[in-house]
Amino acid sequence: MSNISSEFVTMMARIWHRFSLPQGDAGLLAEMLAPMETAGEEAAVNLQFDLEPSDFDRALEELAPPVDER
Amino acid sequence: MSDNLSTLDLCSLANRVRSREISAEEVTQTAIARAEALQLTLNAFIRLEADTALAQARAIDARIAKGEIVGPLVGVPLAHKDMFYRDGMPTSCGSKIRADFVANRTSTALARLAEAGAIDLGGLNMSEFAVGPIGNNAHYGDCRNPWNPEHAPGGSSSGSAASVAARIVFGALGSDTGGSIRIPSAMSGVVGLKPTQNRVSRYGLMPLSFSFDTSGPLTRTVRDAARLLDTIAGYDPNDPTSSRRPGIGCEAACDRPLDGLRLGIPTSYFFDDLDPEVASALDAAQKAFRDISVPLLPVPVPSHNEINLIWAAALSAEAATIHRKWLRERPGDYGPMVRRRIEFGLYQPATRYLEALSLRETFLRDYCATAFADCDVLLTPTMPVTAPRLDEVDVSDGKGMTDLVLKVSRNTRPISYLGLPALSVPCGFNEAGLPMAMQLIGRPFAEAQLCQLGHAYQKVTDWHTHIPTLAKS
Repeated sequence: MSNISSEFVTMMARIWHRFSLPQGDAGLLAEMLAPMETAGEEAAVNLQFDLEPSDFDRALEELAPPVDER
Repeated sequence: MSDNLSTLDLCSLANRVRSREISAEEVTQTAIARAEALQLTLNAFIRLEADTALAQARAIDARIAKGEIVGPLVGVPLAHKDMFYRDGMPTSCGSKIRADFVANRTSTALARLAEAGAIDLGGLNMSEFAVGPIGNNAHYGDCRNPWNPEHAPGGSSSGSAASVAARIVFGALGSDTGGSIRIPSAMSGVVGLKPTQNRVSRYGLMPLSFSFDTSGPLTRTVRDAARLLDTIAGYDPNDPTSSRRPGIGCEAACDRPLDGLRLGIPTSYFFDDLDPEVASALDAAQKAFRDISVPLLPVPVPSHNEINLIWAAALSAEAATIHRKWLRERPGDYGPMVRRRIEFGLYQPATRYLEALSLRETFLRDYCATAFADCDVLLTPTMPVTAPRLDEVDVSDGKGMTDLVLKVSRNTRPISYLGLPALSVPCGFNEAGLPMAMQLIGRPFAEAQLCQLGHAYQKVTDWHTHIPTLAKS
């Protein structure tokens, strides 16, 4: 369960990115960020860093159908 | 454009120009006249370059007269989303921030189209910075749907879809990072082909996301899209991420028999919460494939919910990296929805971003092993709904807008994360006369199979021959 709040977003905007965020924007952004943060935590369980480096481009090439099928 | 010309597709037109039945100048003049006549209604163009286009057309006619060899797009009027750079020309990317930006290079995709003989009419309307699937634009005005101008054309390649549907141009390039070719194609009743990641060079394309941006064609027919993709695809030394895979052969595949190709119908996610009319259209599309002896198999697909969320984390982090300076210095020059969608990326931890990219290979391998274990291509709706009314779009970006964005892009976003090719093909109209579309999704670099199936479908259906009423006048 995410604890991301509008105060947290406002603080990050001010400290890390050096601009102020309207309160309404901060609330909406916090609402958008919370489910992503939760999903990210769940997805990260599948990461196996002993398989790194991952190579998405190589995977694309390997998973293409054989030339005569295309 | 005369009725005769407006019913031609891109390939037929190129053949007629090559055989001197019609001149490139005549075709270009009529396209310009249509663009001007429909601009007030559709707002499809940000910048119409009539004089430049006519000069290109005259040069093409001169080459044909001399008997020179001309390319497969000879004399074909095209126009492109206003994010493809043309050396010395403005490229707004649909934004106020880049309104005065003049490019110092020409995109490889546009250069290849020009080399093939195409005419470039100018920059087309789009969602600001290619963010947003509806097609509204706070700075240049909303582009409108040719089937009903009260409705959205879809975005972010809104002008590309509208100008092709309205028979102004014979094809257009768009970009697709989460559905921005396929969604406007579906909403506006044209064909849209999102290539495999890395298939088409991104050199000279204003970026939104380094990892997910692709560019591809929007056209009236699948064969037209195949010809355009054949022209622009291939390795480009200016884009080191472009694939070195040779010989794409999409147009040739259109004439190949379908022997052995199997369509998979996902048993989860893609058919959830469909508008009943879209569901009926997809049933009819499945029947059309069965009637031409394509086997249809139910196939399981992995969960898409995680994919969608981590795609958004990575995309927004990349977009925020590009826009951070402008977000700080010129926040008021963004539309509210676009600013918030990009700002979102400022709050992603670096670890989350890297996890999203690291997981991409795992998700792709898992997806191919599961969804494509027993079939070659997946058949899904492109969108669960039809084009919304523009006056119902919440431009202040409240909760309603977020829900609408998530709904219209739910079937396209995961495919962008996976980097797979996908083809949107019109498959009917609802009772209100708005287009509906199916999406064919292939394994990596299987664009030719998508064109093969899409063209076979268009040979036994006539949805692609329907013309919006306003385009007939």
